Amino acid sequence: LCGSVRGLAAGPEAHFGFQSVTEAERREKIYQVFESVAKKYDVMNDSMTLGIHRVWKDILVHKMNPSPGTLLLDVAGGTGDIAFRFINYVRSIRERQLQRRLKHHQNLSWQEIFESYQADKSKSLGDSQVVVCDINKEMLKVGKQKAEHLGYSEGLSWVLGDAEELPFDDDKFDVYTIAFGIRNVTRIDLALQEAYRVLKPGGRFLCLEFSHVSNPLLSRLYDLYSFQVIPVLGEVIAGDWKSYQYLVESIRRFPPQEELKAMIEDAGFLKVDYQNLNSGIVAIHSGFKL
Amino acid sequence: VRCQLSPPQRALQTSAVLRRVSDEQKEPLASSSQQQFDSHPADPQPEQEPQGPRPSYTGQGGQESEDYESEEQLQHRILTAALEFVPEHGWTAEAIAEGAKTLGLSVAAAGMFHSDGSELVLHFVSQCNTKLSELLEQEQKQVQLGEAEKKPTEQFLRDAVEARLRMLIPYIEKWPQALSILLLPHNIPDSLNLLTSMIDDIWHYAGDQSTDFNWYTRRAVLTGVYNTTELVMMQDSSPDFEDTWRFLESRVADAMNMGNTANQVQSTGEAVVQGLMGAAVTVSNAETSGAVR
Repeated sequence: LCGSVRGLAAGPEAHFGFQSVTEAERREKIYQVFESVAKKYDVMNDSMTLGIHRVWKDILVHKMNPSPGTLLLDVAGGTGDIAFRFINYVRSIRERQLQRRLKHHQNLSWQEIFESYQADKSKSLGDSQVVVCDINKEMLKVGKQKAEHLGYSEGLSWVLGDAEELPFDDDKFDVYTIAFGIRNVTRIDLALQEAYRVLKPGGRFLCLEFSHVSNPLLSRLYDLYSFQVIPVLGEVIAGDWKSYQYLVESIRRFPPQEELKAMIEDAGFLKVDYQNLNSGIVAIHSGFKL
Repeated sequence: VRCQLSPPQRALQTSAVLRRVSDEQKEPLASSSQQQFDSHPADPQPEQEPQGPRPSYTGQGGQESEDYESEEQLQHRILTAALEFVPEHGWTAEAIAEGAKTLGLSVAAAGMFHSDGSELVLHFVSQCNTKLSELLEQEQKQVQLGEAEKKPTEQFLRDAVEARLRMLIPYIEKWPQALSILLLPHNIPDSLNLLTSMIDDIWHYAGDQSTDFNWYTRRAVLTGVYNTTELVMMQDSSPDFEDTWRFLESRVADAMNMGNTANQVQSTGEAVVQGLMGAAVTVSNAETSGAVR
């Protein structure tokens, strides 16, 4: 009834920060936000979180504990932070594995050692792969440039796609991650269902996102910092007050830990759990497709 | 065992992996190990409902939840499958990942467990204890049916401990690693629990019905015997661990003698005390008589 009063042309209701917009409008506005911040995305992340976002992302990959041969889909992975960390982690595990294997083979002939070294050298990542999927071309562009600059080439691919409708087949990936992206998805339930679809049986869903702080004192300080400092930083560093105002507001509008956990369970995931980082400023949700 | 505190069984009808319990029962009544290594892939359920929004709480202890295995049962299956890979990878998350692979699951399923391999070790120990209980139960039945003779306590204890330790032989290379995992602070409650219940089981089947302090001493002594024998086994390189069994024999003999020694000490102690009392009385008598004179 409320919808008909508002007018037949309007679509389903959604929010953009503290504003009320239609779903279509929201998608567009968010696309524009990321289009404009893409080049300064990493710099802003560092200055807003004082570099702590790196630790959060490290913790996410450590929690994932990927073994060589894992196929990762990083959605809304834009500038590739999670993807690069994943590659580093798998590479170091692989090296340790090879060393252990060499230690065991102490009494092989030189020929055999040479052969085993050859065979393993070609798979420094051990068949692991990461697909970075993002809806925004600009963010992907920045990510590709970063990869070139840092020297990541093997086991990495970049795909343009919408989290609500992924361009992949069913039962493909071992792990699905979405770091600081699910907040910007308009239909979270669709994104979760897509995540369930593309994961292999036994696959893991991991979501790193800003969440709700329960401690009242910390919550006050956090609010103060968010609303007074961050948009100013946005204006000074990226020349874009509005986008960072959106960022802060969207964090407040995002469902708290328990609600997101229930939504993940609704999509069919089991053993869903969350871990608060920094008393709830950020939370990692994890679920399994069983 | 299937009851869970939270979350309740949910959306199991479209679960990709959890099997119907009826599938498990259809398999031939072979030994449990055969059931776990069978070639049944994790089949997706035939009724694939369209992925629409589902109600939050399905199958609250109703009929549906009884038909499907719980997450815990799936976890047990994964851990059992992972044991095969322990000799190669050790008691680690890697072994669990390999185990998950054999069941047709993604390697990411190992993320359900602690990354230090604790659950794998605890699962194995628990499995061994269950096997031991079954073995002792069977032996007891045979004695009751008159098919076998009742063993003297010393022999019984020796055989029980040997049977239990023999279960470690396939994993003996990596067992020191398992012991260190069991000693991690967050594992100690569980590992201690498993150890004490195993020792308790052995004494129960040995026919111990004590209700006094003996209960504690017997268990403490047997725990000591078990632990020391286990440590000796780690370093034993004799054929078929002969040295370990010989060590075990001496320890159990000592334990049995300890009972006699305790009695001897007690009676000696009593005799000594009586002697002292007598001496004291004599001295005081001598004084009084001396004073009188």
